[in-house]
Amino acid sequence: MLAILARRLVWAIPGGIVITALLFASLAGLIGSPAALMLGRDATAQSIAELNARLGFDRPIATQYLDWMGHALRGDLGRSYVTHQSVVEAVLPRLPVTLEIGLLALVLATIAAIVLNSLTGARALIRPLATLLAVIGITLPNFVLGLGLIYLLCVTLEWLPSVGWSAWSNGVPDHATHILLPVLTLSAYYYGSLTLVFRAEYDAVARRLFIRAVKAKGLSDQQVSWRHTMPNALLPVITTIGLSMGQLVGGAVVTESLFSIPGIGSLLVDSILSRDYPVVLAIGMIVVFSVVIANAAADALYAAANPQVRIR
Amino acid sequence: MTRRACGLVLILAVTFAALFAPLLTAYAPTQTGVFFLAPPDAAHWFGTDDLGRDVLSRVLHGGRASLVIGVGAAFVACVIGVPAGLLAGYCGGRVDLWATQVMNLCIALPGLVLALLITAVTGPSVLNIVLILGFVSWPRVARLVRGQAFLIREALFVEAARAAGADAVWIVPMHILPNVAGVIAAQFALTVAYAIFTSSSLSFLGLGIPPPSPDWGGMVRTGLDYLSINPAMGLAPSAAVGITVLGFYLLGSGTRG
Repeated sequence: MLAILARRLVWAIPGGIVITALLFASLAGLIGSPAALMLGRDATAQSIAELNARLGFDRPIATQYLDWMGHALRGDLGRSYVTHQSVVEAVLPRLPVTLEIGLLALVLATIAAIVLNSLTGARALIRPLATLLAVIGITLPNFVLGLGLIYLLCVTLEWLPSVGWSAWSNGVPDHATHILLPVLTLSAYYYGSLTLVFRAEYDAVARRLFIRAVKAKGLSDQQVSWRHTMPNALLPVITTIGLSMGQLVGGAVVTESLFSIPGIGSLLVDSILSRDYPVVLAIGMIVVFSVVIANAAADALYAAANPQVRIR
Repeated sequence: MTRRACGLVLILAVTFAALFAPLLTAYAPTQTGVFFLAPPDAAHWFGTDDLGRDVLSRVLHGGRASLVIGVGAAFVACVIGVPAGLLAGYCGGRVDLWATQVMNLCIALPGLVLALLITAVTGPSVLNIVLILGFVSWPRVARLVRGQAFLIREALFVEAARAAGADAVWIVPMHILPNVAGVIAAQFALTVAYAIFTSSSLSFLGLGIPPPSPDWGGMVRTGLDYLSINPAMGLAPSAAVGITVLGFYLLGSGTRG
């Protein structure tokens, strides 16, 4: 398992380097002269050229990329153009917030998708409900779903405090009430796609002979489902979780903006809108690497669980 | 079948509302008024927004940009994705291996973040957003077409055509493409859904078509601040996005089976 993961990660490195280089080059190319952005409209061509030269932006892109990478590997991601704060200091405190929401949403979506679709009692009622929820999750963009939840639970029913963020230090109940809606919103899309994948596999497993055999031995429907059908249908769920990491990042960007949560998603949007190039670059690289690693992990898990898969 | 019919009804309703928006409302979408943030009443079914504009009129007119962006982006995605997928699937071997790697890599990247980055730099015009979303969504089309082309390539009638002396230039458009057309049509609808989903998210984040033209995502963003004064300001465009995406999703996912 670990050997497969290691091999996958080694293979993922060229991909990661290509993407980060592309990201770097395209950002640099699209943005043009960073000094012009930093100095504003009234800057003279000479002062722009001087600042570009002083900051090293007149060098070839490849040199700049290697330089950036070298500094990044030593933990230096430069300084923000807007706040002049170190990028590492701006990004790091926000990372746990995003990770917490993302992980909770993932866990919630996975458990909901597996449990709702593995229940055998009152199936005629639960299955259509699970389908309806899945279609809602897949088709409603996060901001639509989130707005609906805010309107219903915060404005109309006043059950929850309105948007905003409350850190752990403000107490667990306060933290929990602020995190509930963002997690629900973010998990919806995942729940939807996991439901589709899991159910297709579950139904395929349920038709197999060994299921008939354990039924014949006298297990109840629900026991058959928990012990035999569900565990054998988990594999595509694992892969899907790994492969849809990118979707989670996109969802986190929208959800954090909607609920004004100080995570890296909202920081990314703010930095893009204010053209804060070093911050955008840093978060972009974090996103690329987490996507590449998640994909490699999903591949490795799949290969470990299914020896028929050939590893190149 | 019923899924497809439901989707079709929703799409027709949205298209009708967007097309005949000027006839359906008494107000222009950009016409401001003195009664701002008015709650829904008989004159303004969804009330007015912070500048006194009629929310219903803006929701109906906003459908035009969304539909144009969705269909345009799906078209661009197919123009790039279908030939790429056909090529990879038909050629097989080394070409296929590399193409599949590139497609999978692109699909894994967060489309929304990518679109956000490019839009921020190029500026949000309808044409730009169409091109960007088409560019972001082509790998999904390509991967699907590739899989189908790969299967059909092995079919007996293709072998027969090959035996009769046909080359790839004849076989791909004459034998492979017609047999992939159904899958492409379904994927087209799904791509429209994805493009509207993503473009409305973009405009919600502040990178939509510039004001004052009505734009659903942007309307939701403003409506969020006035949710307790005139909830319809945010809820109506939200519902419009939801209905439109749902319509195209149902059409696309119903056709696939």
